[in-house]
Amino acid sequence: MFKPRWSILLTLLFLAAAQSSCCAQQSGTLKVAAAADLQPVLPALIDQFAQQTGQKVDASYASSATLATQILNGGPFGLFLSADLSFPQKVVAAGLADSAAPVPYARGTLVLWARNDSPAQPLSLDSLRSPSLRTVAVANAEHAPYGRAAKAALAKLGLTDALQSKLVVAENIAQTAQYADSGNADVGLISLTSALTTRLSADGKYVAIPEDSYPPLLQGAVVIKGPAAAQAHRLLDFLLSPPIRKQLAERGLKAP
Amino acid sequence: MDQQAIFLSFRLAGITTLILLGISIPLGYWLAYGRARWKPLVEAAVALPLVLPPTVLGFYLLVLMGPRTALGRTVSVVLGHPLAFSFAGLLTGSVIFSLPFAVQPMTSGFRSIDREILEAAQLLSAQPARILLRVLLPLVRPFLLTAAVLAFTHTVGEFGVVLMIGGGIPGVTKTLSISIYDQVQDFAYAQANHTALLLLGVSFLALLVIYGRGSRAHV
Repeated sequence: MFKPRWSILLTLLFLAAAQSSCCAQQSGTLKVAAAADLQPVLPALIDQFAQQTGQKVDASYASSATLATQILNGGPFGLFLSADLSFPQKVVAAGLADSAAPVPYARGTLVLWARNDSPAQPLSLDSLRSPSLRTVAVANAEHAPYGRAAKAALAKLGLTDALQSKLVVAENIAQTAQYADSGNADVGLISLTSALTTRLSADGKYVAIPEDSYPPLLQGAVVIKGPAAAQAHRLLDFLLSPPIRKQLAERGLKAP
Repeated sequence: MDQQAIFLSFRLAGITTLILLGISIPLGYWLAYGRARWKPLVEAAVALPLVLPPTVLGFYLLVLMGPRTALGRTVSVVLGHPLAFSFAGLLTGSVIFSLPFAVQPMTSGFRSIDREILEAAQLLSAQPARILLRVLLPLVRPFLLTAAVLAFTHTVGEFGVVLMIGGGIPGVTKTLSISIYDQVQDFAYAQANHTALLLLGVSFLALLVIYGRGSRAHV
């Protein structure tokens, strides 16, 4: 074992601490908690918003439940963009929201996706009934709204029992797409936003899941009470404006 | 409490520990006594899991060992299924992830043995295997215990790798740490608390075993 010189070590630790405290206090940057299905969509919109208003925005992506848990426990976010209405409703119920109810900002679409070299090709809904299908990636039904939709759709299609042993559960909808795109899962029930990205359009194909087979994926937003509320309202209004709605629709999120 | 997850985690940790003891006894012996010039390369490689984020391992297991590479397809053929989403995948990840926790105590153990005892045994022309079994292993027993306890508890505590390659299949890849994570996500704080308390207790007892013997073996 070597003995580090404590003075050097302490100096380094001190510098690291000073560094982090300087940057954690970036006032002026609006922090957004965004559902994982927004990961392929939001960065471009945030850039447009920053260009128009000069307002910097940092987005954190995770499953809606993860984000709700963080916000309920004091997560430093100004705006919560969930993939459903129930998680923002929890934030409202806890008295942390700057509005009386979640504001619907988009409607998500669930699709079945497979790589071009997947054994599930040629892909159709019937691929889910094929005995040679080994794994189906879905998002966690308890904490990812798309996972809840997938569970409902599989039940409606009468596939729950047949696929029970083939399901692999991802933490959020972005990881679900990753499981299918990396080829580890034969198919994935993923968000249209992921399926429409350049990467996934090149790697595979998708078919839509009938929309009447799952409850609508109405996505709600809440502004969190606090010093960033005014900026957060501005970003939410921007996302609700007609030109942005059109862009959202092109990228897989319809108007609510 | 999620009994299936408890059983799975302990099974995973138990098998990982057995495999790691099998690796760490010869490897620790070699690291302690070997004279190869490239020994530091091996030492550095063994210590890597201590410094790397688990996501690095998760990424490589998922992508490099995934069905899109020749290596991954070979694994797939051997196992009959891809490494991800399987107990074998978790086992592979755990063995790599906990490797330094087993190898480093064993190396220290072998190094702590008085050279004269070893030389005396060799002079008495005992077979190398006999020396290992009758002389060395009894001498390093406290270190063996430390290696086993650390490998076991560290595997039970594994999270990042499992979250990335597990796929949350109950009884197969949904381990205790994932179960707690899911319970917190589902706002089931009471359940999460039960499971977390159990882990806290078991881990504390395990460390107590090591430190309780601290007067006899300094690690």
